Amino acid sequence: MQLMSNRKPSIAAALCMITANLLTSTIAFAQNTNDGTDSAVPNSLPAIHNAYDEPAEELGTTSVDSAILYYKESNGRVQAIEPMVSITHTTKGGSIFSGKVTFDSLTGATPNGATPWSGTQTFVAPVKGGGEHGLTGASGTLVTNPVTGLKERQYTTSPNALPLDKAFRDSRIAVDLGYSRPIAANTKLNLGVNGSVEQDYRSLSGRLGIAQDLNNKTTTLSLGVNFEHDQSKPFHGIPIAFSQMSGTPAALNSRNKTVLSAVAGVTQVLTPNLLVQLNYSFGSSKGYHSDPYRLLSVLDPTTGAPLRYLYEGRPDKRTRHSVYGAAKLATGSFVTDLSARYYHDSWGINSYTVELSEHIPLFSKAYLEPHGRYYHQSKADFFTYYLPSTAALPSFASSDSRLDSFNAVTLGLSGGFELTPKLELYANAESYRQSKSGSLGVVPVGINNQKLYSGTNSISGLVGIKFKF
Amino acid sequence: MNNRTHPHKTYRFSAMASPCEVQIDGEDLALLDLLGRIAEAEARRIEVKFSRYNDNSIISQINRSNGATVAVDSETMALLRYANSCYELSEGLFDITSGVLRRLWTFDGSDKVPTAAQVNDLLPLVGWPKVTLGENALTLLPGMEIDFGGLGKEYAVDRAMLLISARTDVPILVNFGGDLRVSGLRADGSPWRIAVEAVDTSIDTQTLEVKGGALTTSGDAKRFLLKDGIRYSHILDPRTGWPVVDPPRSVTVAASTCMEAGIFSTLAMAKGAEAERFVTEERCAAWISR
Repeated sequence: MQLMSNRKPSIAAALCMITANLLTSTIAFAQNTNDGTDSAVPNSLPAIHNAYDEPAEELGTTSVDSAILYYKESNGRVQAIEPMVSITHTTKGGSIFSGKVTFDSLTGATPNGATPWSGTQTFVAPVKGGGEHGLTGASGTLVTNPVTGLKERQYTTSPNALPLDKAFRDSRIAVDLGYSRPIAANTKLNLGVNGSVEQDYRSLSGRLGIAQDLNNKTTTLSLGVNFEHDQSKPFHGIPIAFSQMSGTPAALNSRNKTVLSAVAGVTQVLTPNLLVQLNYSFGSSKGYHSDPYRLLSVLDPTTGAPLRYLYEGRPDKRTRHSVYGAAKLATGSFVTDLSARYYHDSWGINSYTVELSEHIPLFSKAYLEPHGRYYHQSKADFFTYYLPSTAALPSFASSDSRLDSFNAVTLGLSGGFELTPKLELYANAESYRQSKSGSLGVVPVGINNQKLYSGTNSISGLVGIKFKF
Repeated sequence: MNNRTHPHKTYRFSAMASPCEVQIDGEDLALLDLLGRIAEAEARRIEVKFSRYNDNSIISQINRSNGATVAVDSETMALLRYANSCYELSEGLFDITSGVLRRLWTFDGSDKVPTAAQVNDLLPLVGWPKVTLGENALTLLPGMEIDFGGLGKEYAVDRAMLLISARTDVPILVNFGGDLRVSGLRADGSPWRIAVEAVDTSIDTQTLEVKGGALTTSGDAKRFLLKDGIRYSHILDPRTGWPVVDPPRSVTVAASTCMEAGIFSTLAMAKGAEAERFVTEERCAAWISR
């Protein structure tokens, strides 16, 4: 029997990979239209790019993107208007500088955390600047506390209605600066800082990431870390957990939180038309996690009558893990994106998300992109709608609907239109609907017909314009 | 190029010094015109950008650089990296710096074979490892040249197919001077039947059935030198500067993309007497004529 000689490894597989990669990476190169033919062929092929890369920018170009978002929750709850402008410059050497400024203006009513009741409920809150600025009619009336002599804001909730605080009004400005550059062949470094300021909240974060291309750029490994420092500083101070609702400012001015997170991922080009991605991320935060405005009702365990209202209290630590997988499939210039995410945290929340979108080119200069998302989460261990008056206080408790168990469905439609090769208009409309999932737990008989779940539905619309020079 | 039993229409133009065509199944002339224009624009874009005969092309700028570093755009960079990988995979048989050898070798059927000294004088200017490839730039030694002669037309076919298939699902054939690619089976489910031109009139034209992917042919029996009874083929070995010994008259390779087929047919030719063994070991779908 003749033994096989030691053959060199086949080059066919390697050649197939690098060819697939070349044709994928150069998919977006535009056709030159001033080439002497009369074929001003428009080109609207979407580029398939690594989800960790910046969008493929031509070297030496600057692009400006400006958009405005309108967000509205149903039943007169929060409304927001958010203008945004960003600028990205790609140098001839392949470095990318980016800057983005976002301004938010939020108004409306937010659930204060208390349960609905068959009678009128009255709440008090401290008032800014001792009350000399006055109040709008909807957000309550100014009263003088007979004990302290201080002005307080008092507001009421009609029988059987979810208690809402209508004084909610905030504005936020956020700035993000990013820089990315190749540091070696196939290695890219990115850095960034992000800061945001609200009337009662400040956040500052810095990030560092590295991406390494392997196998002729068909594989990308990436690693990123992010450090964030937040300060919560409401004008009325930080209430002590489970202290009574009060119109008197708290002694403690502010509290901080730090968040350290890391993500590791791999992206693989499988064929010229298929890209897959897998990420794992970990986050650990320490410090103040509570909502300083949020109340909890202490109820009579049988009648459900509110006896008093306490400020909520959450743990000082939270550890998060998530695994994210995504696939991007191009069929001609149709692009299908499918992703799934599983999340678990130390507060006992488990969630999963499934998302699907389809990019549909229209004629040659426009596209439509319908998208859908399904989300489910279980509740946090310390989530509760109320505290029973007969039981001892727990270590932690919150009635925030974001910690409740629920399902959410997002449906949306995006579209864009290229006015000129350098100017694009785009828009997005979305509907978001939350619904309670699972049981409500033990509910006092007297309020078992009340709607305890305080999640919301919302719609949002965005219009934007992008230009390159 | 294909059989005439099914209705099809052809858009023809000339680019990259070759006759080029786009065929579609069926009778939709407006669609054919659109797709043909897309393919033609892409062929011309690539020709203008990369032809060494165009003084303004990026290749000409690089070849005039005389040792200076030249910044290149990302598409050129992607092609240079591709050429780099091909050099490595082929252990030096595929080398885009080998074009300077044409200064010595003109395969016109005559007996003008250069001397060993002439070849040796030129070899310092040949060899991809002498090129410094940066992140977005490259540097050649003074006097070196590169060209995408072994890649450009195949890249143009694959690019044209990419752009065309974004516009239609109608079966398409793109053929730029014999480097061709089909989008898949024809509308009636039959394969495309491709006549491979015989390089030598004594051999019958071969007809190949192609269900999908690409087909390229290397070899030109009319280009050779004959001196002292030795026939010198026009396939040069970039490692020695001398013609490959006993290459096939032609090699036709089928692969999923034109670029892969083109690299395989070029390498099979450069393997000379080992061509058959090479395609067998690589499990290429190939037709070799001697």
